[in-house]
Formats: sequence, C-alpha cells, structure tokens
Amino acid sequence: MATLLRSALRPLRPLGGRRGPAADVPLRGVRHGAGLLYPGHIPTSPLQKALLAAGSAGMSLYNPYRHDMVAVLGETTGHRALKGLRDQMRKDPEGAEILQERPRISLSTLDLDKLRSLPEGSLGQEYLRFLDVNELLCHKFQQAWTLCVSQGRPRGCQRHYIPCPRTPLLRVSPDTRAPTRFVDDEELAYVIQRYREVHDMLHTLLGMPTNILGEIVVKWFEAVQTGLPMCILGALFGPIRLSAQSLQVLVSELIPWAVQNGRRAPCVLNLYYERRWEQPLLALREELGITEPPTVHVRGPA
Amino acid sequence: MATHRSCALWSCCGRRWSRVMRCCRLPGFRSSWPRGPLGARHLSQEKQATETHFGFETVSDKEKGGKGDIAFRFLNYVRAQHKRKQKKQLRAQQNVSWEEIAKKYHNEEDPLGGSRVVVCDINKEMLKIGKQKARAQGHKAGLAWVLGDAEELPFDDDKFDVYSIAFGIRNVTHIDQALQEAHRVLKPGGRFLCLEFSQVNNPLISRLYDLYSFQVIPVLGEVIAGDWKSYQYLVESIRQFPSQEEFKEMIEDAGFEKVTYESLTSGIVAIHSGFKL
Repeated sequence: MATLLRSALRPLRPLGGRRGPAADVPLRGVRHGAGLLYPGHIPTSPLQKALLAAGSAGMSLYNPYRHDMVAVLGETTGHRALKGLRDQMRKDPEGAEILQERPRISLSTLDLDKLRSLPEGSLGQEYLRFLDVNELLCHKFQQAWTLCVSQGRPRGCQRHYIPCPRTPLLRVSPDTRAPTRFVDDEELAYVIQRYREVHDMLHTLLGMPTNILGEIVVKWFEAVQTGLPMCILGALFGPIRLSAQSLQVLVSELIPWAVQNGRRAPCVLNLYYERRWEQPLLALREELGITEPPTVHVRGPA
Repeated sequence: MATHRSCALWSCCGRRWSRVMRCCRLPGFRSSWPRGPLGARHLSQEKQATETHFGFETVSDKEKGGKGDIAFRFLNYVRAQHKRKQKKQLRAQQNVSWEEIAKKYHNEEDPLGGSRVVVCDINKEMLKIGKQKARAQGHKAGLAWVLGDAEELPFDDDKFDVYSIAFGIRNVTHIDQALQEAHRVLKPGGRFLCLEFSQVNNPLISRLYDLYSFQVIPVLGEVIAGDWKSYQYLVESIRQFPSQEEFKEMIEDAGFEKVTYESLTSGIVAIHSGFKL
C-alpha cells in the first residue's frame, strides 16, 4: 500500500492509444475535483450506494465492532430520513440555529476542565461521568486516548483502557466518529454528522451504558425518533447475538420504555447541547419527557 | 449338450450361480442351498444334487477341475490388474505434466535448485511479509532481501540471469528508468519478465471489466478493508498503464531484444518478456 500511495497520480502519458476518462464517465463515476460537496465527500453512483448498503449491512452483522460499516450503512440508506430530520430542525428555532452555526462535539472542542467544574448533576458533569465510566477518557485527554487505543497499554498512563475481554464494550467516543463521505448533500451530511455526535449525549440522557444492551436501547430510541433505516436495522438485528436472559429483559422492560420515550420526546437533534452543559440532567429529562431509565447491568450480558 | 450345460452352470459370479440353479430346478428338488459368497460351496452342494438326480459324472470331474478353475481365473484377474496398472504408469510417464517434472526436480534441502535469488522492494514492510512467506514455504537458504528503488538498483552491472517483476512496475514513477536499470543489471543473455495489468482487447469484456473495477472494487475495499481511496487509486492506476504494444515498445527502447508479450484473461493481465543480448 505504501508503494501505491507513494507514487503521485501520474499524468496522462503522451503516447497515443490512451483511453480518456470521458468515454467511461457513466461507468466510472465522478473523479475528485469535480462534484465534491464537502471535504471528505466521495461521490458514488446509485449502484455503488446499493452495493455499499448491502455490504456494510452484512459486515456490521458479521462484525459488530466495525462502527465504520454502521456509519456507511446510515449514510447510504438514510437520504429520506435525513431530509425529514433536516426539515424538523428547520422548523424548530434551536434546531435552525444548530443548522446555521454547525457546532461540533469533539474532545478537542470540549473544555473538559470546565465541564468538570460544573455542579453535580448537570449535563456536563453527567456527560463527563459517562465518558469516564465507559473508559472513553484518559486523564491526558484526546491525544493520550488514541495512544491508549493504539498501544493497548500506555506507558506512564495511570489508567488501563483495554476493554475487559468478557464485556463486549463498544468503544465509541466523540472522536471515533468518522467524517461523512457518501451523502450527496452538504447540509444532510452535517445532519448525519450531528446525529452521530449526539449519540453519546443520548446515552447520557437515557442513562444507558455502552455495552450491547445499552446500545440496543439507544438504537430503539433513535429509530423511533429519526426513522433512519440504519437505526431500524440496528434495533431489529442488534439483539441477535444476545443471550436468552438479556433478550427477555430487553423485550419486557427496555424496548417498551425506549419506544414510549422516543415517541413522547421532541426531536433530540434540536437541542443545542453545547449551550446546555449547566442544565441539570433531571431537568432536561423532564423537559423532554424522558422517565426514569430502568437499570441496565454494566457487566457484559451478551 | 452336457458340456454346454456345464459351462452355463459354471459361470463365475455367485449370484449368477443361484439364478442358474433356479433355472435348473427340477421337480423333486427340495433343498434350499446356502447362498454362500463363493461358488465353491454351491458347486459341492450342486454336485451331490445333480449326481443323485442327473448322475453327471462328467460334472463331478469337471467340478474338481472347476474349483481349480476359479482359482486360476482369480489369479489371471490379479495379473491382468497388475499389467493394467503398469501400462497406466508407462503411459503417464510418457505424458508427464509440468507439475510432475517440477516435483522430480524439487529438492527439499535446496528448493531453489542451486540458484540464488535476490528479492528487492522499496517498502520494508513488503520485505518483512515476503520473508515470513518464504519461511512458511520452507525456503531456508538462497534468498537475499534487499531494500532498494527500482529506478536506481543497488547492484552492479551484468549480475543477474533473470529479472522478474510482478504487479510492481505500475507503481514505479519513471517506468523507463526502471527498465533501463533492469537492462543494466542483467547479464548478456539474461531475461526480463514482467507481469502487469494491461488493456483488455475484447470490447464486451472491457465494459464488464470497467464496470466491475469502478463500481465494485472500491466498494469491496471500503467494506472489507475500510479503505475506499486506495482501491479507487488502484483501478485508476491500472487504466493509466500503457497497453501491451506500448509497453513492448518501451521495453525495446530500454535496449531489450526479442520482446514478446502474452495476454492472459483477454488482456486483463499481460506477461512481457525481453532478452539482453
């Protein structure tokens, strides 16, 4: 691969007989330079989108730790749902502001010290606690976290961020969100990016850990709220790998709770979380109509 | 008539025996013969029965000979099998496949057969993987691993009998320089061999190949390896590479003679060969 990337894109050879791209554009798709709507955009033909959707769906089922595949599935199948979401955001004043200002939640933009200094029970504090408990924070912030992940056991770091082999923790953090690539509209690309970044806030709001059960509950909530096919598929197929006991708890308690609250709450993408760090979590829950979350065991049930 | 009868009776297979027996059942026969696997038993039973009923003296004589007859038939059968096997082997020896010839030459201690190979790549990781693969295949000696640039090889002139490059020359920035270097390090009489993606000559297959390359391969790269861009680059670099004839001319420009090429799979891949004379 290094040899491939090393040689720059070679110019067209002056010798004759070269088949130019013009004759094959319908098959080849748009080359970069033309048709790029946002940085990182990869224009794809409908056939490629279909293949990507099928392949990513299969791969995420086969290997649930391929978060990039879940993301690709969302991007390739979510066009209609994203348009609906964007219209909902436009109608709401706070949502319209978000669409205008385009804030991003990432560890580098988060002032973790400030969040730590916030009162107990506030959204910021709870969010920080959520990141901590689920081993997504290293006391040396973002850079060290990536070090932790790549080396498994960082030297000099007081904490060990190796997921316990028995708990299938899905390691997600604000910064493992890959940028959008396959959405062919710049505003919708932001909407799906915002949806991904809000996912962790939803964990905090719903009080769900990042193990498989917790993720499924959040997926059900999101499926009802956003209508994204990826959420619906994840909600339906996620429980496949669960034990009978967890399945029972899921179906009897957790899913009905998630669906009820998802229906009742207004669109969660309309919340400007970056301005609500001081708001107490319970007050926010009340505002959204989210009831007391049922307890989910953190130790791996699957 | 008796002889005809006896021949009919003494057919080899046991099953046919019983059928024959049934045909010959005469009124008054009452025994149920034990249907053994060997004809011999039938014979002995039959002998008594027929003797009593038909008094076939000749049969009894023939039977004694018949027991031996079966043994001889069996021996003949075994000998014929053996002969057939020998014939097959001889025939196979006359139409030897390349694999069998290679196997005969293969030497466990020295799989390279006395030759020495220098493996050269610009990427250290590739060399590492190559070393692992070679070890897994059982090569212990005779291989040297050199980090080097194809456009500027770290070898002296006229050193090698064969220079081969597979799916590598496409990634070289200046192909003509690489060809000149190949010409330099080869001994006079040495052969240059290059396996590389090339242009498809059949228009229908070309369209299918284009469709597959541009629509499917980057998707596969994304789904399996999480890397769209590298595979997009790969298929584009394949299109950028010169056609078989053009590449042949480039090889001739570098000084090689008797340059030929062979297209595989209607041109998806081509093997070019040239000699330094």
